[in-house]
Amino acid sequence: MGETAAILAEVFVDTIAYWWIIVPTIFLGLIVGGIPGFSAANTIIILMPLTLAMTLESGLIFMVTLYSSARMGAGIPAILVNIPGTAGAAATPLDGYPMAKAGKGQQALAISFVASSIGGLLTTIVALMTMPILARVGFYMHSVEMIVVMLFGISLIASIAAQDMLKGLIAGFLGLMIGSIGTDVVYATPRGTFGFLELYDGVPLIPALVGLFAVSEAFIIIEKKVIISEDAEPKNPNWHDTFEGVRMALARWWHIVWTSLIGLIIGVIPGAGASIASFVAYQQSRTLSKTPEKYGTGHAEGLIAPESANNGVTSGTLVPLLVLGIPGGATAAIMLVVMQFHGVSFGPSLFENQPKVGYGMFMAMAVAYLLMFLTILPLSRYMSHVTTIPTIYLAPMIISFTLVGGFVPREYMFDMYLALGFGVLGYIARRTGYHVAAILIGVILGPLLERYFLLALKKSDGDVMTLFSSNLGNALWVALALSLILPSVFDWRRKRKELLGR
Amino acid sequence: MARDDMKRPRQLGGELVIPVLAVAFTLYFFSTIWNSPWTAQVSAFLVGGILLAFCAIFAARCVIWMRAGGASLGFGNLVSRDDITTGRVGLLICTVGYTVLIDRLGFTLTTFLFLFLSMIILAKGRRPGFITAISAAMAFGGWAVFIWAFDTRFPRGWFETTMQAVLANG
Repeated sequence: MGETAAILAEVFVDTIAYWWIIVPTIFLGLIVGGIPGFSAANTIIILMPLTLAMTLESGLIFMVTLYSSARMGAGIPAILVNIPGTAGAAATPLDGYPMAKAGKGQQALAISFVASSIGGLLTTIVALMTMPILARVGFYMHSVEMIVVMLFGISLIASIAAQDMLKGLIAGFLGLMIGSIGTDVVYATPRGTFGFLELYDGVPLIPALVGLFAVSEAFIIIEKKVIISEDAEPKNPNWHDTFEGVRMALARWWHIVWTSLIGLIIGVIPGAGASIASFVAYQQSRTLSKTPEKYGTGHAEGLIAPESANNGVTSGTLVPLLVLGIPGGATAAIMLVVMQFHGVSFGPSLFENQPKVGYGMFMAMAVAYLLMFLTILPLSRYMSHVTTIPTIYLAPMIISFTLVGGFVPREYMFDMYLALGFGVLGYIARRTGYHVAAILIGVILGPLLERYFLLALKKSDGDVMTLFSSNLGNALWVALALSLILPSVFDWRRKRKELLGR
Repeated sequence: MARDDMKRPRQLGGELVIPVLAVAFTLYFFSTIWNSPWTAQVSAFLVGGILLAFCAIFAARCVIWMRAGGASLGFGNLVSRDDITTGRVGLLICTVGYTVLIDRLGFTLTTFLFLFLSMIILAKGRRPGFITAISAAMAFGGWAVFIWAFDTRFPRGWFETTMQAVLANG
């Protein structure tokens, strides 16, 4: 224990010495995270020759910092212009954007930065302390358990649809149908592809995200002069708002803790990711809240939950990578390639043979989050100016750069047309009262749910009762049922109390 | 004004567009899996069946509202004269043109043309000098960051090819 502490202290000092790599990488990560299509994974691939030419320590610090700062960066456009930079930030605008429209963009950014930094920092420390236990989580999560985890995320559709349940459910199930496009996972039979080979792998997420959020939003905002609402108090950005955002986030520290832990646990599961974590955290935050009716209107807790959860995922992803050699996502897979190039062997022996590498990855993440908090927080004052840029200039910029962002991941022109198609769908949905987030949840989680559902059925020769065959799965089913029923019970009790009070 | 809105019957034509699209897409989806193995069908039939049921309930609800006189089949909430006056239609035409032309003209030139035309339309012809400058700066900045610095495979045309030759030959 004493030896490990000494190694950690040494690694901490070594990592701090790389501040000259960390600080510029934070800003690079914020930019690539904020533009849909330019994920951390893509940037690391583009800069792979540079990463391979660096020493192992520098390369790892660069990749880990880029990964965590891109995750944080994805929340900035989600809050300011309703455009999540990645699918992991898709739940962020639900409460972040209403805050920005109400003239509280600066506070929302500060809340997001504090929740992301503390969430990321805390889960990194927890991951370091509980690595052997966390590494086993992946072994217990089979297809049945994953189905329930997906359903936790999908149940958010019902919450979003609270205003008009039927329209919300139509939007969500349309998303699930769109998510089913592509070949089936067992026999690779093409389904609903309209004959396009580009859709055989399923609907690509970035064009869907770009279209549903960015393009449709650009066509909506031109009705107003600026994004900020006319009812909002006109005021110049000031430090007070930043500190107020920090205070609001710190006052909800417990919320940051438990939602980031949701992210950590989901991040540990290979194949699960930030989008699932943020949807699940948002839904659970709303379920357990005493004021669920405030969610979706610019509620601080509705912003904290997805932001701390998706940053919790980043440290969780490192656990199966380092302990088992199983990458939990695209970025982790690229890190694996770079580490293998440098001759790093994975597994428990990594922490005995090369402890500075194993612990160094987590320490780099912790230091990155620490420096991110210090460097980015002051910028929220200037970033919030975006909401005051005239929409006649902002809307065309959003369209051009996000449409091209839709092209980048696969480099198919088809994906730009697809993003435009989703833009039209998103525009119709927004104008007629259907929630685009409900459609996107279906598109993201639909294929994953189907994959695990088919695997479960295939393993049990088509016996549906397999869904209730494991203890952990059954416990999760009960938790899911409670999370769906309890809000209605609380709501009923609250209304009854109000009635009796009168 | 608020009272006028309350008196106006709900415009259901626009609200029915998504359910109609959903039904059409679901039926098309079913047609592609009709003779497929069960693994390709089970999830889609389940989700699609529920979606069709929701759309049927929504259609029934619309009929009830219309019979009660509280709604009409208008499209006022989806398309209106404002779409032309705000420049939305012009922006849509520019956007379609952007996606079609970018493969031929390349990122930088198409982005400049798109930004210039759409901003001019939205600004109703005001401040052409400023719009030209901002469009050029954004397009050139995009080229410098994404193509020159990061070497991203953005669509390339004669501008990118020329710049590549210029930079390669010092």
